Amino acid sequence: MIKLTNIEKVYRTSSIETLALTNINLTINAGEFISIMGPSGCGKSTLMNLMGLLDAPSAGQVEIDGRIVMQYRDKELALLRNQQIGFIFQSFHLINDLSVLDNVEIPLLYRKGDATGPRSVGASRRQLAQEALEKVGLSNRMKHFPGQLSGGQKQRVAIARAIVGRPSIILADEPTGNLDSAMGNEIMAILQQLNTEGSTIVMVTHDETMAKKTHRLIRLFDGAMVGDSKLISDLRFGISDVSAGNVISEPSNPKS
Amino acid sequence: MIRHLFKLIWNKKRAHSLLIIEIWASFMVLFGLASLLVHNLSNYREPLGFSYEYVWVVDLNNNQDTVAVAEKTQRIIQRINAFPEVASSSRMSDNSPFSANTMNNNVERGNRKTMMDFYVTDEKFADVLEIPLASGRWYTPADSIGKYRAVVINQKAKEKLFDDEDPVGQLLGDKPKGNDGSRQQKIVGVIDNFKAKGEFMTNMPAIFQQLDAKESYHKKILVKVKPGTDAVFEAKLVKAVTAMATGWSVDVDHLTESCENRHNLTLVPAIIFVIVCSFLLINVALGLFGVLNVSITRRRGEIGLRRALGATERSISWQFVGEMWVLATFALVLGLVLACQFPLLNVFDLASSVYVIAIIVAALIVYLLVTICALFPSRQAAAIQPAVALHEE
Repeated sequence: MIKLTNIEKVYRTSSIETLALTNINLTINAGEFISIMGPSGCGKSTLMNLMGLLDAPSAGQVEIDGRIVMQYRDKELALLRNQQIGFIFQSFHLINDLSVLDNVEIPLLYRKGDATGPRSVGASRRQLAQEALEKVGLSNRMKHFPGQLSGGQKQRVAIARAIVGRPSIILADEPTGNLDSAMGNEIMAILQQLNTEGSTIVMVTHDETMAKKTHRLIRLFDGAMVGDSKLISDLRFGISDVSAGNVISEPSNPKS
Repeated sequence: MIRHLFKLIWNKKRAHSLLIIEIWASFMVLFGLASLLVHNLSNYREPLGFSYEYVWVVDLNNNQDTVAVAEKTQRIIQRINAFPEVASSSRMSDNSPFSANTMNNNVERGNRKTMMDFYVTDEKFADVLEIPLASGRWYTPADSIGKYRAVVINQKAKEKLFDDEDPVGQLLGDKPKGNDGSRQQKIVGVIDNFKAKGEFMTNMPAIFQQLDAKESYHKKILVKVKPGTDAVFEAKLVKAVTAMATGWSVDVDHLTESCENRHNLTLVPAIIFVIVCSFLLINVALGLFGVLNVSITRRRGEIGLRRALGATERSISWQFVGEMWVLATFALVLGLVLACQFPLLNVFDLASSVYVIAIIVAALIVYLLVTICALFPSRQAAAIQPAVALHEE
């Protein structure tokens, strides 16, 4: 579960102060598949960074699975990112000098011993990475390098990397943004499958069609949350139509 | 993680090849410098084997005078000994301590053969230079009429020819041949060290032959003066000698000054080499530093990604240090292949331990250098905000 309370994010330089997010109150329950939409520069990625513990809010509180992380040190945040959160990026962010299998193994390299198990050793890391790649249908590309893959395949590698540590939350920042519709649908199908297996997924997208395939749609505008719609496309119910949009508030003028 | 870093560097080996060559070259230069310094230092730690304080070298040159040279030389020695300022004196061959002259030859014993430094000295040589004897005795005037020519060897020569066997009383060389009346040599004593070229000289095998007073060839006289003897006496000595042998020239050197000059011959090139190496290392360090800075700028996306996947600031920092260690290891592996040839092929005739220590020292300096170069850029890398870095690509 992710809970954001009264979140505000301000970027400051010596001369300019930009309010990127204001008054964000959002609770994402375990097992949900949420999409976040909004025009460019509205704060979608900033919100993802805050949920992914890659950035700290200027005000407000972030909770992950009931743990308030505001006072966490770098080491604890890194541990939480490593064990609870998987990231998927629009530009894949694969390391071109490592093979597909080695790329997928990376999160396990930073895994320390704790409740989820002992420090990953080489053989078990390899095993987990192979399983993750099999899950995204790339078991025949393990030895390949990213430069030898198509965009869709690269994104599938990124998904394998995101799920290899078996995180409970997957944050996907425009995962289909660089792909054509067919490949986008393939990626979406994998994400839906992961969701049905229990992962909580938060996806930033510009694609309304993709957003409609999720359970819930959050709309941002100028740093404010202007809509939180429950969709009935929940695959658990076998329905794929949008039921209703619940507008929270009209966009005011949050930028200062 | 180590395996991961090795893979990362290995897969980028072409891009890193120049960096590896740069580190390899640094290692080789450091290896050369360390070999020189370790060699000199280990020599310096070996005792010199004699005392040269208050010892002067009087070098007689008969020039055009060829009449009764040996007799004149003996008379000069007697005159020198008559001065109250003189404690003792000894006549010897031209290769006096700290001089540039060297006499050496192969000495055989059975199927063993070794190159030795030869010194021809009279009976007082050991007294003048206060050379302690390890076993046996120094030769005496009585030995000059014996069947064998009395010789003294040093410990190094004993090791080369006799191992653990006691050499005193043993004969050296072939039986006499030819018509020059040369006699077979008999060892009468063994001394410890004799490093005639100074503290930094290797303790070479040495053999001391008894000087025949009738020989006219060897005309260097070591004079041990009493403490407090000054330049006034030196002038008096030169005047007395030149008065005794008309047409002869006399040079007087003090062994303390000769020793200092000799040391400078070793130290000055070493210091120059150290300075040149230091500049080289500074250049290499700046190069590595620059390359790392550029690399970190180019890899901001990767740094952001690793932070997102669970890397702490510390692990990012260590990754870059680790990558430099891996690069240095690749370079050192190449360097070791070459460096190991030196002890294996016995290049420059140095002890294997010198090369081994030099390899270790050079490797440690290389690792230290790359660590220092990597520390600041790696901290910069660790300070990169992942949220910013991830959205730059």
